[in-house]
Amino acid sequence: MARMKFLCDADRCIECNACVTACKNENDVPWGINRRRVVTINDGKPGERSISMACMHCTDAPCAAVCPVDCFYVTVDKVVLHSKDLCIGCGYCFYACPFGAPQYPKVGNFGSRGKMDKCTFCAGGPEADLSPAEFQKYGSNRLAEGKLPLCAEMCSTKSLLAGDGDIIAKIYKERVVKRGYGSGAWGWKTAYKETVAI
Amino acid sequence: MSEKKTKEALDRRGFMKVVSLGGAAAAASVAPGVITPAAAYDPGKEETKQRYRETDHVKAFYRTNGY
Repeated sequence: MARMKFLCDADRCIECNACVTACKNENDVPWGINRRRVVTINDGKPGERSISMACMHCTDAPCAAVCPVDCFYVTVDKVVLHSKDLCIGCGYCFYACPFGAPQYPKVGNFGSRGKMDKCTFCAGGPEADLSPAEFQKYGSNRLAEGKLPLCAEMCSTKSLLAGDGDIIAKIYKERVVKRGYGSGAWGWKTAYKETVAI
Repeated sequence: MSEKKTKEALDRRGFMKVVSLGGAAAAASVAPGVITPAAAYDPGKEETKQRYRETDHVKAFYRTNGY
């Protein structure tokens, strides 16, 4: 069974923000919310790296673990989705998420956050596939259309990969072999030190 | 004057008494059997079904990313 994953090749990302724009446009994301964003470290200095970040659809998602109303669920494709009808906007998931994926529209008075919004891997929500209600709450359902998330499909340098985890891992491995140095993955040396050769 | 004040105070106490008794009665009227246990969101098969398919569109994406 295919397991949906994102993988950003930090060696290829040029911080063009096309993925951010594509996501906002495709899913009609409201003002103030970015389901995807590009993070840059050492900006303007040697060793500058950019990486496109969104919900990583964790295997054991911490957002789901802390949700007091249990509004999260995982599909057969291993995409982590949530029900906006159940969400109470408590913000626990935002604190639990290591990627800062959950966002809040902040539409209410007195600092209330509103219903949480996050990347759906372009897989909609609990409403009927491709229905107007689903689009209004969660954005488009490209997976049901036989497509992949638009952020990855739009990436001009093919930095952002999305789809079956096994297939995109194979694509990335081939790139690494062709480059002939390390994995090129961001934080690799921090995690595995110099001693691990690829 | 003081008599009027006392009467008002008594009225207020009466009101509070009625409210507290009413509240207790309302709480007592909920039978233990009627209380429904809290249940986590249990999505159906339709919500969690497989949507990913390896269509020609998806295959083209994988092919072009291999370059």
